[in-house]
Amino acid sequence: MTVHPITLEVVRNAFVAYSEEMATALCRSAHNMMIYEVRDFCCGLIDTDGNLISQNSGGLPIFLADLGVAVKDGIERYGLDGFALGDVIIMNHAGVCGQHLNNIVIYTPCFHDGELVAFAANRAHWVDVGGSRIGFGSYDSFEIFQEGVQFRSLKIYEAGKRNDALWQIIHDNLRFPESSLGDLRAQIAACNIAERRLGELYRRYDTETIAACMQRIWDQSEAEARDVVEGFPDGVYEAEGFLDNDGVVIDTPLIIKVKVTVDGGEMTIDYTGTNPQVRSPLNSGSGDLAAARIAFKALTLPNAPVNEGCFRPLKLISPEGTILRAKPPAAIGLWSVALPTVIDVILKALAPALPDRVPAAHKGDMGGCSFYGYREDDGRRFLLMNIMGGGWGGRPHGDGESAAMSVCQGDVRNAPVEVQEMNYPFIIECHKLRTDSGGAGKYRGGLGVEIRYRCLQKTVANINFDRTYDAPWGLHGGLEGAVNEAVIYRTDGSEERVLKQTNIQLEPGDRVSFFTGGGGGYGAPAERPHDEIVRDVKTGLVSAAAAKLDYGIDLKVEAAE
Amino acid sequence: MPDGASRGRQSVGVDIGGTFTDLVAVRDGGIVVSKSSTIVDDPTKGVADCVEIAGISTAEINEFLHGSTIAINTVLERKGATTALLTTEGFRDVYAIGRSNRPEGFNLNFARPQPLIRRELTFDATERLNAKGEVLEALDEDAVRTVGEKLSALGVDAIAVCFLHSYANPAHESRAGEILKEVCPDIYVTLSNEILREYREYERTSTTALNAYVGPRVSRYLDRLDTYLHEGQFGGTIQIMRSNGGTMSLNQAHRQPVTMMESGPVAGMIGAGHLANQLGFDQCIGFDMGGTTAKASMFRNGEPAVHEEYFIGGYASGQPMQMPVVDIIEIGAGGGSIAWCDPHGGLHVGPESAGAQPGPACYGQGGDNPVITDADLVLGRLNAGRFLSGKMALDPALSEKAIQEKVAGPLGLSVIDAALGIAKIADSAMSLAVRAVSVERGSDPRDCAMIAFGGAGPLHALSIARDISIPTVIIPRFPGNFSALGMLMAPWRQDLVQTFVVDLSHADPAAAQAAMDSLADQGKALLDADGLDANDATFAYAADLRYVGQEHAIPVPMTEAQDLADGGSPTLREAFDRLHQYRYGHAAPEERIQVAKIRLTVTVVRRDNSALSWLSTAYTPENAQADSERPVYFEDAEAPLTAKIVWRPGLAPGTEIPGPAVVEEPNSTTLLYPGDVGRIDEHGHLIVAVGGA
Repeated sequence: MTVHPITLEVVRNAFVAYSEEMATALCRSAHNMMIYEVRDFCCGLIDTDGNLISQNSGGLPIFLADLGVAVKDGIERYGLDGFALGDVIIMNHAGVCGQHLNNIVIYTPCFHDGELVAFAANRAHWVDVGGSRIGFGSYDSFEIFQEGVQFRSLKIYEAGKRNDALWQIIHDNLRFPESSLGDLRAQIAACNIAERRLGELYRRYDTETIAACMQRIWDQSEAEARDVVEGFPDGVYEAEGFLDNDGVVIDTPLIIKVKVTVDGGEMTIDYTGTNPQVRSPLNSGSGDLAAARIAFKALTLPNAPVNEGCFRPLKLISPEGTILRAKPPAAIGLWSVALPTVIDVILKALAPALPDRVPAAHKGDMGGCSFYGYREDDGRRFLLMNIMGGGWGGRPHGDGESAAMSVCQGDVRNAPVEVQEMNYPFIIECHKLRTDSGGAGKYRGGLGVEIRYRCLQKTVANINFDRTYDAPWGLHGGLEGAVNEAVIYRTDGSEERVLKQTNIQLEPGDRVSFFTGGGGGYGAPAERPHDEIVRDVKTGLVSAAAAKLDYGIDLKVEAAE
Repeated sequence: MPDGASRGRQSVGVDIGGTFTDLVAVRDGGIVVSKSSTIVDDPTKGVADCVEIAGISTAEINEFLHGSTIAINTVLERKGATTALLTTEGFRDVYAIGRSNRPEGFNLNFARPQPLIRRELTFDATERLNAKGEVLEALDEDAVRTVGEKLSALGVDAIAVCFLHSYANPAHESRAGEILKEVCPDIYVTLSNEILREYREYERTSTTALNAYVGPRVSRYLDRLDTYLHEGQFGGTIQIMRSNGGTMSLNQAHRQPVTMMESGPVAGMIGAGHLANQLGFDQCIGFDMGGTTAKASMFRNGEPAVHEEYFIGGYASGQPMQMPVVDIIEIGAGGGSIAWCDPHGGLHVGPESAGAQPGPACYGQGGDNPVITDADLVLGRLNAGRFLSGKMALDPALSEKAIQEKVAGPLGLSVIDAALGIAKIADSAMSLAVRAVSVERGSDPRDCAMIAFGGAGPLHALSIARDISIPTVIIPRFPGNFSALGMLMAPWRQDLVQTFVVDLSHADPAAAQAAMDSLADQGKALLDADGLDANDATFAYAADLRYVGQEHAIPVPMTEAQDLADGGSPTLREAFDRLHQYRYGHAAPEERIQVAKIRLTVTVVRRDNSALSWLSTAYTPENAQADSERPVYFEDAEAPLTAKIVWRPGLAPGTEIPGPAVVEEPNSTTLLYPGDVGRIDEHGHLIVAVGGA
């Protein structure tokens, strides 16, 4: 069936708008900062075969067209005729979704004239889903059962009637039930909004026309992506990189191996040779796909709406049993930690082929920290989470950005100092750019940041830093950026450096400084214009000492002359 | 002082837009309208031209109301002052670090917001408060003095001061301000607490920096305007439009130019709110479509929604501004928006605009890109001979050529089909914007009326109304000059906000009362400074509430501090749950709620209500012209309909116009679809019952 180009455009805009509308409602009424600040969620419309029709922009990039697998599992379980108006399905099963259990998918079937036409779905990060430790990703977990409760395609509402038993199981097994049930309500309400909008659309255009529009939208996105890939030189490109360790066996780096094949309009990403899965939660069940898709999207159509068609020209080869496609019952609480590095490695492989598109490596980890405990003033349990930006690599046509979220975190925001001090027992002593952290180069890498916490009471901390063994590399002669590190300054004057550790006991007066990494440089430092170096020193982004060491420019001598 | 009656003179509203400067004055119950070209290098000259064209002597003007894009353009064009920043020690990079977010998640070439203040002009001083406002470390006054002494040598014109937690206790900032004013009296000083008392250090720093950055330039502009008016024996007052939909005195505009950022677009929306009230519509959508953009805003009982998260220059890389701004959604679809095809057969309209130069293809000024106006012309919806009162003859052949080459040819469509497509895509995008301010804010368009204005608004309004089921559309008199008219109805308005975060289960009513009293004192001081009597003012309090754990809060009206005690008064509690249900589709009456801010809005309605009365004065037609007919394309590219063409200024009250019809007037055109019925009401407004809605 052919569709009038105008109808197609109207339907396309509508699909995108509905996903955005869901996202706004979810974000504004959610009960936890992982949703409203970290934007750790996605919203989308799914067709009755489990394909993604549209997805919101501005959520976490790692959720790329991955709602479909969750819905497909429900379709297999209930059959297409097993859904009723008013059903709400909850899903976080690790074996199916491949993500940590905090990522809860909620979806509802959408009907028109009694016929199932689509699903409205969203995924959002709940602060806690039970398990042996608060939050997620404790390094002492080695199988999924320690990481929380699993819900596999369960109906929490059946035809509008709440399943009270299931509701109570959720309530009784989570550490912050008020927060999570608030999020659940917000997720359901977001689905309901999309259901209503879809209803309006189907009343205006017939089912056949809309189905034809979906096909056309996917075909067009596919064609656009293919066109871009056709412009890439054919070839086989390989690279490898390393994560520091699995958090348990500290002296063994984990290898990421990538082979990218560009053949006409298709790109294949092969992970063969990547580290076997580990006995810690640093695995994932679907990280291979998420990382490949982010890299592919960034290189092809970064600002176009996301749908199933965008990824048709992308093929994966990913053996089971690696850290990126771990076999159950592996622990996967830190499923996303490896991904910024994996994406950096994919980009590195393509750097020689695409010198005009690929930047040098960025700080390379998710930059998260958390502090928790019981408040001494009112006895309540607290959990402070903050995400920190760092430096991005120098780019083919300019310096890297400073203090920016990782490639896996798009519109994620750091927590304001004033909000943290208002809500948690800490004084933050500084929040500043880290001088000299950007790798030198024709185009300098961006700078990381330093933020320093002073504890006002007994507290426990979790730290998750990586990419120190394989520092953010430069490209085409650029130097590497500074690595991530955290330093604990005890009141007795002792200091300890920490990268990945959970359950760090802190006493009142102890300080923890987080230094985030800088980006690698692009092009040789010798090619950097003199004025730029002088300006960097004047603004304090580069010290005079580093200018001398990295660029061979002695400003004191110049001033004397 | 807003007072028009005492001297029997007139109030004048002047709106400076990107292309035209518009003037509206109300004199003897009648309206005077004039238009001149905006003069970018000397906007005051454009104002003077407008006054002259209108035949007004400045001596006759009692009150001069003014909206201008000078503040926002200063930021967008980066033409502000060389500005310094003073922060708490350890936090001088707060402004550069921002929130570290990357809204364009997949774009490897993303651009983060660029601070308006250079890092080498950012200084810090030893001082520290905690979140309660208690002093942890005293202000190092010598350090502030040293900074002040450096500024002149560095060629700095302005300085912003923003210390941590100054929303809770402004003492250190105020003292730093005193020292700076003493050490460097010629420098424009902005303290964050004088602009806003809200937490979140980055957003507060950015807002304070914006004020300091635009301050000197806006001040000079306001001085020139003041001088020009007073040279002509002007004895009245100047009121400046601000983004919250109200006005302020010239003095306050000198101190808080950041509140002028959206000075331009809000005025028309204020006018629309008043018109909705007069016509008895509780819920109304204002729709304004000009040359480059379309804007939509929602009103309840004539009041616009005001929100406080705004980004100058767009969300992805813009400067955050934590200031009340009328909730207007603006999209790149105006009469001059360009239609284009991508290589895969996708047809798009905007956001690029052909502007005034070269303008639409049909202007014959060398533009070869088809724009919305070209499509409207080809479809017979615009009259080539009556555009802008016939001052600009349009050439439909040029429109056809542009559409054929850029759209119809590539897509394999006929010119008419392509033109219909352009109009439809623009209408569809505008419908989504209108939906965003109504449906997405929880209002059903079926319960709303739409007031459409701006040069191009009436031409597209009925299509949008059909699309989202708005039953009634109102085209006011002089829709092309409605924005300037709106200024003459705007109240004096000040929004004051105090961060006040506490669970209602243990809120202390005495502390809440103290916060309310402090806001009231600030409001009274501002009234006093502008020569207004507190007895004439309305003080409306609200609490921003949320469920414990949420971040975003909803303002809920409150009357007394006691409303916040014991978990919240039943009225407050119910109102919050209801609003939450309304906005987000769910509520949790069993959950604890928390207050985040207490706010006070002080308004003083204008005593000179001549513009408002004009909206409802009896209307007399003039210059009647004979009706005619021409073919106009609506839905079907094969079959145009024969539409009645009427000249609006000549229509008597009570005249009914059944669609399909085109209602033409000097600065605008209204398109009525088959099934629509327009009627001229007794005040001359065109009220359309939308067919099929």
